[in-house]
Amino acid sequence: MSALLVLDDVHVRFNTAAGQVQAVNGVSLDLAVGETLGLVGESGCGKSTLGKAILRLVPTSAGEIRIDGADIAPLDGAALTELRRKVQMIFQDPYGSLNPRSTVGRSVAQPLVLAGWKRDAIAERVDMLLSWVGLPPEARQRYPHEFSGGQRQRIGIARALALNPKLIICDEPVSALDVSVRAQVINLLEDLKAKVGMSYLFISHDLSVVEHIADRVAVMYLGTIVEIGSRDRIWREPQHPYTRALLAAAPIANPKLARARRRTILQGELPSPLDPPTGCPFHSRCPMAQARCKVEPPSLRAIGVGTQAACHFI
Amino acid sequence: MERFAFLRRFTRNRGALIGALLILLVTVTALAAPLLFPTDPLRMVGPPELWPGEDPAFPLGTDSLGRDMLAMLVHGARATLLIGLFASAMATLIGVSVGAIAGYFGGWIDEAAMRAVELFQTIPNLIFVLTIVVILGSTLHNIVIAIGIVSWTPIARMTRAEFLALRDREFVQACRSMGMHAPGIIVREILPNALPPVIVLSSLVVASAILFESAVSFLGLGDPNVASWGRLVGDGRQLIRSSWYICAIPGIAIMVTVLCLNLIGDGLNDALNPKLRDR
Repeated sequence: MSALLVLDDVHVRFNTAAGQVQAVNGVSLDLAVGETLGLVGESGCGKSTLGKAILRLVPTSAGEIRIDGADIAPLDGAALTELRRKVQMIFQDPYGSLNPRSTVGRSVAQPLVLAGWKRDAIAERVDMLLSWVGLPPEARQRYPHEFSGGQRQRIGIARALALNPKLIICDEPVSALDVSVRAQVINLLEDLKAKVGMSYLFISHDLSVVEHIADRVAVMYLGTIVEIGSRDRIWREPQHPYTRALLAAAPIANPKLARARRRTILQGELPSPLDPPTGCPFHSRCPMAQARCKVEPPSLRAIGVGTQAACHFI
Repeated sequence: MERFAFLRRFTRNRGALIGALLILLVTVTALAAPLLFPTDPLRMVGPPELWPGEDPAFPLGTDSLGRDMLAMLVHGARATLLIGLFASAMATLIGVSVGAIAGYFGGWIDEAAMRAVELFQTIPNLIFVLTIVVILGSTLHNIVIAIGIVSWTPIARMTRAEFLALRDREFVQACRSMGMHAPGIIVREILPNALPPVIVLSSLVVASAILFESAVSFLGLGDPNVASWGRLVGDGRQLIRSSWYICAIPGIAIMVTVLCLNLIGDGLNDALNPKLRDR
C-alpha cells in the first residue's frame, strides 16, 4: 500500500499570552490510500490541531507533512489549490460549519465554484452530492437552520465530497449529534468510502465510534502519539498504560463482561500543554511510572507487526 | 418567509412602527416638495413675522424676511434627510471597511486601525466637523464628507467586534480549507452575518448626522444655497425673544425626526437580534 499522507516529526506551537503551547509535539504517522485511521485522545490533546495542520489551517513549526509525496508547507498559489482539492474536512459542529446566511445549495457548491466549474455542471454535481448523502434536491434552496443536526452534518459531508478528495479529515464528526443519528452518519461515511474510495483521518474521543470505523488507530496524549496499531490489535491487547486506561473507561454493553474486567481508572487531569511534564508526558498519571519516566522521554518503538508504543516498560 | 418574519418582529415594537410611519411621512413630503411648493422656498411671499395661524395662506407663518415657513420646512426636509442618509452611508462604508479588515486580519493591521480609530475619537466631534467644513468650504458635499469622517469610528469598532467573533467559526475555516481568498471570505461569508448590528448603528448615525448638520447650519457654516432645518433654526435665532416660533418649528421637526430614527434603530435592534427572536 502506498502512503497518501505522511507526517514526519510534526510540531505545532502556539504563542499565547500565558506562554508557548506545544499543541502537537513530534507526531509521525502515515495513512495509506483507502485506509481509515482513527485518532483518539482526550479533549485538548492536540488531535484537532493536528487535523487542521494537515489542511494548513494552522501553521506547523517543525517537521514535514507530505501528501502524495509532496511537502505541503511551501505550497502556494495553484499548487495550494490543488492540495485543497485533495484534502477536505468535515467539522465537529454541524451548527457552526455552515454559513447560516447561505443556502445549502450555495454551501455545497462553494468548492466547485472555487474550482472554476460551469454553472450547469455545478447544479448537476450538487444534486448528485445531495442524493449521495440522502437529501432531496429541494434542499438546495433551503437554509441550514431548517435542518436537523444530522442533516446538517450530511450537508457538510456533501460539501467535503464535492471535488472527490483523496483524504477527508473528520474532526469529531458525530460527537455533536444525538446517539440515534450517529450510527446513520457513520454508516453514511462508510458507504461513501466504498463508493468514492477516499481515506479518512477520523478524529474522535469516542472509542466506540472509532472501533466501528477505523482500520488502524493512533492514540494521542498531550501532543504526542503514545500508541499506534491496527484496531483489532489495540482493542485486544493494548500496550501503553494510557491506551489501557482509555479502553477501560469505555462503557461495555454486556454487564457480565463489564463486571469481570479489571479497571484502571485514570487519576488527575490532563497536564497543561503550557507546562508539559518532563520525560514521559504521561508519567504524572501513569500507574507504572518510575523514576526513569520523569527524566527520559520514551520514543515510539515497534512492538510486534505494525504496532508501535511509546513506553519504557513494554 | 424570512422577510415577513422580520417585518413581523419589527412591527411588534410599537415605537418602531410609529417611528417608521412618521419617517415615511417626512420622506414622502420631502420627495413631493416641488409639487407641493413649486416656487423657490427662499423667495419672499408675504409680510414678515406672520405668526402661525394668523393668515390661512401661511399655516406656519412667515419668517423675518416674509418667507413661507411651511414651504421652507418641506423643502428643508429634503436637504436634511439627504445629508443624514449620505453621511451615514459614508460613515458605514468607511467604518465597515476598516472594521472588517482590522477584525479579519488581526495582528498589526488591527493594532494600526484601532489606534487610528482612537485618534479620531479623541477629537471632539462637533469641533472636528466644524474644522473640516471650514477647511473644505461650506457646501453640501463637504458637510456630508465632514460628518462621515467623524461618524465612522463606532461602526468600525462594531464591525471589528463582529468579525473577531466570526472569523474563527467553522464555516469560515471550511471556506479557508477550500482555498477561498480573504476578500471573498470577508465580503461574501462573514459580512452578511456581521451586518445586522451594523445596520442598527447606521440608522442611529443618520439621526446624529442630522443633528451635526443642524449644529453646523445653526452656527452659520451651512451651505448658503440650501434651506436645511438647521439653517432655519439658525436664521430665526436673532428673533428668538419676539418670534420664537421661527426657531421652534424647524427645531420640533428635527427633534421628531431624530426621535423617530432612534425608535427605528431600537426596532431594528430587536428585530435583528437573534437572541430576542420570537419572544
